[in-house]
Amino acid sequence: MSSAITSVKTSVKTLAATVPAARWRWLAVAALLAAACYAPFQLAPFHVFQLTMVLVYAVALLGLDLLVGHAGQISLGHGAFFAVGAYATAIMLDRLALPYPLTLPLAAGTAFVLGLAFGVPAVRLRGLYLALVTLAVAIFLGPLLKRFEAVTGGSMGLTLAKPQPPAWSGLAEDQWLYLLTLVVAVAAFLVAGSLLRSRAGRALHAVRDDEVAAEVMGVRLSSYKTLAFAWSAMFAGVAGCLYTWVIGFVSPDSFTVNLSITLLAGLVVGGLGSMSGPVLGALFVMFVPGIAQDINDAAPGVIFGLLIIAVMYVAPTGLAGLAGRLVKKVPRKE
Amino acid sequence: MTLIVEDLVAGYGDARVLHGVRLTVGDGEICAILGPNGAGKTTLLRALSGMVKVRGRIALDGAELAGRPPDALARQGVAHVPEGRGTFMPLTVEENLRLGAYVRRDRASVEEDLERVHTYFPVLRTRLKQAAGSLSGGEQQMLAIGRALMLRPRLLLLDEPSLGLAPLVTRELFRIVQAVNAEERTTVVVVEQNAHLALGIAQQAHVLETGRIVLSGTAERIRADEQVAQSYLGYRV
Amino acid sequence: MAGFLQQVVVGLGAGAIYASLALALVLIYQFTGIVNFAQGELAMFSTYIAWQCVAAGLPFWLALVITLVVSFAGGMLIERVIIRPVEGAPELTLVIVTVGLFVFVNAAAGWIWTFLIKDFPNPFPDGALSAAGVSVSFSTLGVLAVVALVMGLLYVLFQYTRIGLGMRAVASNPESARLVGIRVGRTLALGWGLAATVGAVSGVLVAPLLFLEPNMMGGVLIYAFAAATLGGFDSPLGAVVGGLIVGVAETLAGAYVDVIGSDLKVGVPLAIILGVLLFRPQGLFGRAVVERS
Repeated sequence: MSSAITSVKTSVKTLAATVPAARWRWLAVAALLAAACYAPFQLAPFHVFQLTMVLVYAVALLGLDLLVGHAGQISLGHGAFFAVGAYATAIMLDRLALPYPLTLPLAAGTAFVLGLAFGVPAVRLRGLYLALVTLAVAIFLGPLLKRFEAVTGGSMGLTLAKPQPPAWSGLAEDQWLYLLTLVVAVAAFLVAGSLLRSRAGRALHAVRDDEVAAEVMGVRLSSYKTLAFAWSAMFAGVAGCLYTWVIGFVSPDSFTVNLSITLLAGLVVGGLGSMSGPVLGALFVMFVPGIAQDINDAAPGVIFGLLIIAVMYVAPTGLAGLAGRLVKKVPRKE
Repeated sequence: MTLIVEDLVAGYGDARVLHGVRLTVGDGEICAILGPNGAGKTTLLRALSGMVKVRGRIALDGAELAGRPPDALARQGVAHVPEGRGTFMPLTVEENLRLGAYVRRDRASVEEDLERVHTYFPVLRTRLKQAAGSLSGGEQQMLAIGRALMLRPRLLLLDEPSLGLAPLVTRELFRIVQAVNAEERTTVVVVEQNAHLALGIAQQAHVLETGRIVLSGTAERIRADEQVAQSYLGYRV
Repeated sequence: MAGFLQQVVVGLGAGAIYASLALALVLIYQFTGIVNFAQGELAMFSTYIAWQCVAAGLPFWLALVITLVVSFAGGMLIERVIIRPVEGAPELTLVIVTVGLFVFVNAAAGWIWTFLIKDFPNPFPDGALSAAGVSVSFSTLGVLAVVALVMGLLYVLFQYTRIGLGMRAVASNPESARLVGIRVGRTLALGWGLAATVGAVSGVLVAPLLFLEPNMMGGVLIYAFAAATLGGFDSPLGAVVGGLIVGVAETLAGAYVDVIGSDLKVGVPLAIILGVLLFRPQGLFGRAVVERS
């Protein structure tokens, strides 16, 4: 037994020695992507649906991470931007009868513009107060949606037809939705990645790490913080659009403050400021409540609450950080 | 109260500021700590009052003080007038003074001491009900020293009392410190940029440089040392 | 006119409750610079304790005393166990930890007492005083009296006791407080205990008006935030005045502004928070934040 472990360790070591760390990451990403493409053809429809929702949440968390993890701003109301994307899509499909591919850029744009508009006053708020305002916005959204019933369907919400797979593809609905979501999600991660590597991304990190120093170095704080808000809202809007496609139903009760808090919880547990954090967080948000619910209706909340606190104590970088530490440890043992 | 410091090492996090300081201050003496900016003078005082983690020995009349928290040291009679004066801005002048005696239980003598502080600093008496934040810099420094005296300290630590004050005010302040020392036999350690003033009231002095004491002696001897005067004290004799 | 005054009275009654929770928020903020997002949930949990005592057959006022004592101890415990390890951490961390506490306490209450709503006894008699066409229910009067009493007790504590003086010293300058011999850690725990106690009062006042359930305080919290923001996060007096203003503003807006009506009233605290933060960030009674050198 122990000799088997040793031999695995040595082979990992030799592998690690021959392949540089950066390439390891690409290999892992490629393997993950291959698995992601293969999954819908192997799993039952319900599991395919679950994976689709994981991708939806991952995009939302990616947006939230831009703001919280990369720009260091606090948002307790990100569910509101998610809802904006979802409702914009629903309204375009239902009231305007637009073809669904068009709704994606339009929903993203709507959320981006709203994020920009919201970001302008938001940049004047110190972290704590920003948390207050975003929380208030998230609370206000529900009544607002219910009030404008003519457009939003009020508390009954809107029910929509889901995008159907084209006949030539031979795919089932759940598979088609999954693949659509996968493509959008991968694109979202690529866009976010290049955003973060750009000048603007570096400026954001500088702002997060030390506002004063960043300003001294010539970073225009307010414009970058506003932009961070807008991008972040845009990704949340994209996720909201995907949500409407996949679920085919929106109602105010789907986007309560709970959603905002769940998103933040998922991100914190998954890991702030990394690319894998949102994915791990999304898996967590999707599966842990379901499992915990079997114990008690309140169990997901208890677990979430405790985990959020525990993560802030022992592993502020979340699951992604823990995984990163483990991965790094292997080659270092040379 | 005799203060004995041996092999004192202190710093912030990984950055070590003091590298083995050793000094002795006799009962009722005033000891001046001189030296350039960044030498570790403030850290030395913070070490003596428990505000930074330390290794080594700090003994006040045989009682070991090293490693104890500031509130415990206050109970032992160590009063620290910190850099920036540590004023409780929104509180009244009287409340600030009473806080100085926070750990004392002898109510009657606290009232006496309040009276005594008023005699040292008559200006405070006229401002008792005023918010401390509204005082001028010099008045705040007086308040800070008054607050420290309210503890009936056995060891008084003064950090840059002259900082930001007009020369005349500073001179007055040092005169009062000297009077307090003479009347109450309080042992005083004073960190000061203005070496001339500090040496004027101190019996002995130490010059600190990059966390080490590079020169010790009586105040007269330090003052007379021309080389010291040039390199550390910033003036010619 | 009577109709208008009637609305103001109703608003004051609601405002007094917002004020009590805002007071709890301010107590903690003063000492630790933390805005405790879990304050409402702690109040809700305390209310359940009171409910449990009453359900066990204890008279209401005894149940209240037990609740306040348990809440005080609980608040101190939370400071020791949950907040102490992240003391001095970045704001982001602190906010996230209190949000975690929010989620945890909310769910824990649901676990223990289920999510079904419960009736909570009203300690005040039914009926109302009427004068000049305006009627004030005993319930409203009771709430106002209790909040005034809490405010008065806190005032005495802070102004006339040694512990209170020490607490104010810690709030104003923790390092200097340590130097004069105040045990700062103990004082912070005390602050959390006090806040939890005051919060418990607000929970017990709210519960008879709403129904007792784990999400009861979610709606109240946002009004309390607005009240504390308006009054200034570092001013207990401001929290109370702010609470009353928010309560009256909300009621009047609901009654007289058609666009808002009863269903968009929750937009009022949002507007107040945004307005205050953008135009007078320190609030009505708060001190402008000056960077300490």
